[in-house]
Amino acid sequence: MNKKIKGSQFLVIFSFVQRLVHWVNFIGFMLLMITGAFLFAPPLQGLVVGPAGWLSRAGHRWGAIIVGVAAVLYVFFDPKGFWRSMKEIFTWGEIDWKWAQAAPRYYFYGDESGMPPQGRFNTGQKIFYLTYVITLIILGATGLVMWLGKGSVSPTLFQWSVLLHDLAAIVITAFFLVHLYLAMAHPAMRPAMDAIRFGFLPKDYVKHHHARYYEKLFPQKSKEA
Amino acid sequence: MAKAMLIDPSMCFFCNACSVECKQQNSVPIGKNVFLTQMVIHEAGKFPKVKQRFIKRACNHCTDAACVDVCPTRALYHHKDGYVVLDQSRCNGCGYCSQFCPFQIPQLEIMDTFSGTARSHKCTFCAERVGQGYETSCAAACPFGAITFGDREKLIAQGQARVKALQSRGATEAHLYGEKELGGLHVLYVLEQRPGYYGLPENPRYPAIPKVLDAVKVLGYAALGATVVGLGVNWVIARRNIRAEEGAEKEEGKSHE
Repeated sequence: MNKKIKGSQFLVIFSFVQRLVHWVNFIGFMLLMITGAFLFAPPLQGLVVGPAGWLSRAGHRWGAIIVGVAAVLYVFFDPKGFWRSMKEIFTWGEIDWKWAQAAPRYYFYGDESGMPPQGRFNTGQKIFYLTYVITLIILGATGLVMWLGKGSVSPTLFQWSVLLHDLAAIVITAFFLVHLYLAMAHPAMRPAMDAIRFGFLPKDYVKHHHARYYEKLFPQKSKEA
Repeated sequence: MAKAMLIDPSMCFFCNACSVECKQQNSVPIGKNVFLTQMVIHEAGKFPKVKQRFIKRACNHCTDAACVDVCPTRALYHHKDGYVVLDQSRCNGCGYCSQFCPFQIPQLEIMDTFSGTARSHKCTFCAERVGQGYETSCAAACPFGAITFGDREKLIAQGQARVKALQSRGATEAHLYGEKELGGLHVLYVLEQRPGYYGLPENPRYPAIPKVLDAVKVLGYAALGATVVGLGVNWVIARRNIRAEEGAEKEEGKSHE
């Protein structure tokens, strides 16, 4: 992942496995979000009446399996990358607080003067990734209770699972909208789309937006600079 | 006029005519553990002083029915005569009704565990028969008068009279169950003992979660709506500002040349 392509002006940011995992996740997540909204939102519930509901609920299970497969793929085929990302999203410090203070000016006005140097994931990316991991665990656990637990778990546990599943789904859907917006629509974020599709970013971009990570990769050069 | 049934276990002989007639009337799937109504035995005491109590277990047709409120497809609804109808053609098998019912009555027939293909079963109150002016099939089948069908008001009076008769014969615990429970059940019971003795909850409560779920829906709309609006505002402002800045940078570059 931190491979340097010799003599190139590009840095590899995401490995093949990481990109594959991302897009498999994307497919599963979209399926889950759409079929979940059918059951959740009363105006859409008319679409999942009777056998249409069987199809939609089966789709929701396939979505869960796809997302689960993505997680397994990551752990088994790129364990180093997986644990490194986990370590990064659970590491929080003063720099994240500074980022949060400077972020509104950056995201609204493109003013990056107050932005502290960031690691491979910036604070915002860490917030999204961490939220995804936590809500995914909650959604998976409560989802399994509702899938396989009917009759064998206590009704109280089942009812709490429905509630937690709904809450976690709302949180991650809101975050997903932000994620999608930043990736596709925000005028300052265009290169991120290249990183997740093709895996690499321009060296200058990394130096500029992920300065701490760049320093880690090229310690001497940055000292010289 | 609200309809109801009055169940009197003290008159029951456990003949099972009600559950047999019910299966026939309502085309209940055969060979599966599905019952719209079922006779249940409750034993108490130690040998040789053992007593059995029989009770007909089926949907109690609550006024405050959690199943109706949690059903996402409105397959469950209240009939104008007060009882709860399940329209199986609308049921998508989510099984919430079976898990939110304070009496744990609706049965989920799972056809496929993986895909979740399933449908719910519960007492239909013989809606077709009742609509044509007949009594429910279990009431019609009962040879001992342990199940009476009729107007709810009349049955309450009849049940209270029966309770008094039982009390005068020494059943001090005798009482009418279902008059006030959950906004009023449309199945009333004349019980000689505490409800727990028959496997009925002493104080059935409407579960807390369905109301929270309604609030969560509002919260969900608000949160997602606010997110979309916030992102839209950000897009408009950021696009203008960042474009202006880029334009300024370009012009600066030109002037340096």
